[in-house]
Amino acid sequence: MRPDPIRESVTTIGKDGTRRFLQPSLVFGAWWKARRVVAWLLIAFFAALPWIEIEGFPAVFLDIEHRRFHLLGTTLGLGDLWLLFFVITGWGFLIYATTALLGRIWCGWTCPQTVYLEHVFRVVDRIFEGDHVSRTRLDGRSWGEPAKLLRRGGRMLAYLVLCWAVAHIFLAYFISIPGLYPMITDAPLAHPAAFVAMAVATAVLFFNFWWFREQLCLIICPYGRLQSALIDDDSVIVGYDEKRGEPRGKPAAGLAAGDCVDCRRCVQVCPTGIDIRQGLQMECIACTACVDACDDVMAKLRRPPGLVRYASLRELDGGKTRFLRPRTILYAAMLVVGLIVATVSVLRVQPAGFKLSRPPQTELYSVSAGSVANVFRAKIQNKDEAPRRFFISAEASGTKVTVLNQSAGMVIAPQAEITLPLTLLVDRQDYRGEFNFTLRLRSEDGKISLLQKAHFIGPDPRDLKR
Amino acid sequence: MPDDDNLGEKPVIMPHTYDGIQEYDQSLPNWWLFTLFASIAFAFLYWLANFATDTTPDDRVAVNAEMDALEARQLAAVKNLDDATLWKMSRNAKTVAEGQAVYNSLCFTCHGPTMAGMKGLGFRLNDEFWVHGNTPTAIFNNISEGIMFEGKPTGMASQKVLGTGRIAAVTAFLLSMQKEGAMKVIPRKDEPSQLAP
Ligand code: SF4
Ligand code: SF4
Repeated sequence: MRPDPIRESVTTIGKDGTRRFLQPSLVFGAWWKARRVVAWLLIAFFAALPWIEIEGFPAVFLDIEHRRFHLLGTTLGLGDLWLLFFVITGWGFLIYATTALLGRIWCGWTCPQTVYLEHVFRVVDRIFEGDHVSRTRLDGRSWGEPAKLLRRGGRMLAYLVLCWAVAHIFLAYFISIPGLYPMITDAPLAHPAAFVAMAVATAVLFFNFWWFREQLCLIICPYGRLQSALIDDDSVIVGYDEKRGEPRGKPAAGLAAGDCVDCRRCVQVCPTGIDIRQGLQMECIACTACVDACDDVMAKLRRPPGLVRYASLRELDGGKTRFLRPRTILYAAMLVVGLIVATVSVLRVQPAGFKLSRPPQTELYSVSAGSVANVFRAKIQNKDEAPRRFFISAEASGTKVTVLNQSAGMVIAPQAEITLPLTLLVDRQDYRGEFNFTLRLRSEDGKISLLQKAHFIGPDPRDLKR
Repeated sequence: MPDDDNLGEKPVIMPHTYDGIQEYDQSLPNWWLFTLFASIAFAFLYWLANFATDTTPDDRVAVNAEMDALEARQLAAVKNLDDATLWKMSRNAKTVAEGQAVYNSLCFTCHGPTMAGMKGLGFRLNDEFWVHGNTPTAIFNNISEGIMFEGKPTGMASQKVLGTGRIAAVTAFLLSMQKEGAMKVIPRKDEPSQLAP
């Protein structure tokens, strides 16, 4: 009999460092059904997003070529990229909070790695190569045998097609469906960069799902490595009820048997090759396969389910899970603060940009017979998809500032930026020394109003009197 | 093969201890080691291609070559910049727009946003009267080299700031408002923008 996996070693890496492939058995159960539904919904959502149009653009369109990012009807330029900070920290705190509460539900239910591996590629495995017994047998055969060539070769082809499809969906996020279509129908050489990107994406996906698989979770993914910092005794994890299960199998004479019959079904189904009965381990992605497997066995034995179940370490130890604890409260608070800040800053993104500077190598001010003048250089950006007319006006307390030649405003083309010379005049009679003022950029429809503070430079007013 | 599986018996603990921490004697995944050796090989090839031999073009050489080419182009452009060429450029909408953008970012500060000139600063540029020469090349040179008046620099020498291409564009922009043969030279004291309002 194959020995049990041990906590100290990685099952999928041999003693000599070679890759060991697992052929986990499939288990149908309540959790499995729920996870499959969630996975299909997620895949459908991922595939549909580039097709959904909001205000003339795909719901998500990261247009790298033109450096514009369309998200659910909002268009962000490169200048708004700082908002990413909130997206990333928000995502981080969401994951922290859920991990502290519910362990790795992200891994088991929603991570693309799990979703595609368990619900797409392992399905293909079973279609082409049968159950885990016949897959293991196939592993031992040589490629020269027609059975293996046919089955594994066919599976490989299916993988390639699927990876190619996923790569297309993925790239649609960056070039949009209307952009993607001619690239599919034209000859590959007409769009060499897109073709190479597609080929590389397909190859990476294929490598990941064909060969790399759980290695990503065990060795590369930082999230798995963060677990010991995020999880505590009250986090709900997939755990084995040792109190109820042990002593497992046939105990020595005189000892009452535990509920675990040592059938090793939980080990057989585990996609990362661990034995959940040895406690919480870094490798466990909380996929619930062992829960379904054990519940199955318990049902056959007419024993209550839940020997392996979602439970906190404290609960497994006989205590009661505390959901409200400093850790969860803190993470949740950070999440709420982040959400508020992110919402406010996204809502405040203006469809225009307005910057002010002084032109280099010029006089700071000039004095003519009637007025004192300052010159500025304004950079005005129209981030909208339609041309817009803008007006500029100056506002100062106590002094009347005129913006020369700006009464008619200016029209800026969609997504264009102009550099506008501005001459500001103050009447000599009004001038009482340097002062601060505000320049307002206003769109014709009044929807946009941006302010820039500036300082009006001039001579000592006493000099003007002379 | 199954003998080598990492199952069953516990791995050996290495004899050394650091800060009370001990480690198992485990081999690294071979694919992991492969990334290490692959990056070493890549570093060596990179060094070979970029530093030890001249297989790949050096960035510095490439930049210098490009700068030389640019300079040669500019010299050639200046040599060819006669009045006829500048007039022709002034009827090209794209060049004029480019020149206008340059004007709006720099020249306006003295000559005014409407080109009407500013008293004590810059002359009017949108009329047919010119103080320092009435030919396209004269205007180009004035922008490029600046103007000396009574031993003091007055106009701004912009060659270093703008470069030949953009100076030609600004010249074209100015000429786009003029008619060939209709530009007149006037004495400095008659420049309209400098007269009392
Ligand atoms: S360990 Fe990382 S890659 Fe694996 S399921 Fe979890 S989040 Fe996804
Ligand atoms: S131990 Fe159970 S929940 Fe964890 S990865 Fe294995 S089968 Fe999934």
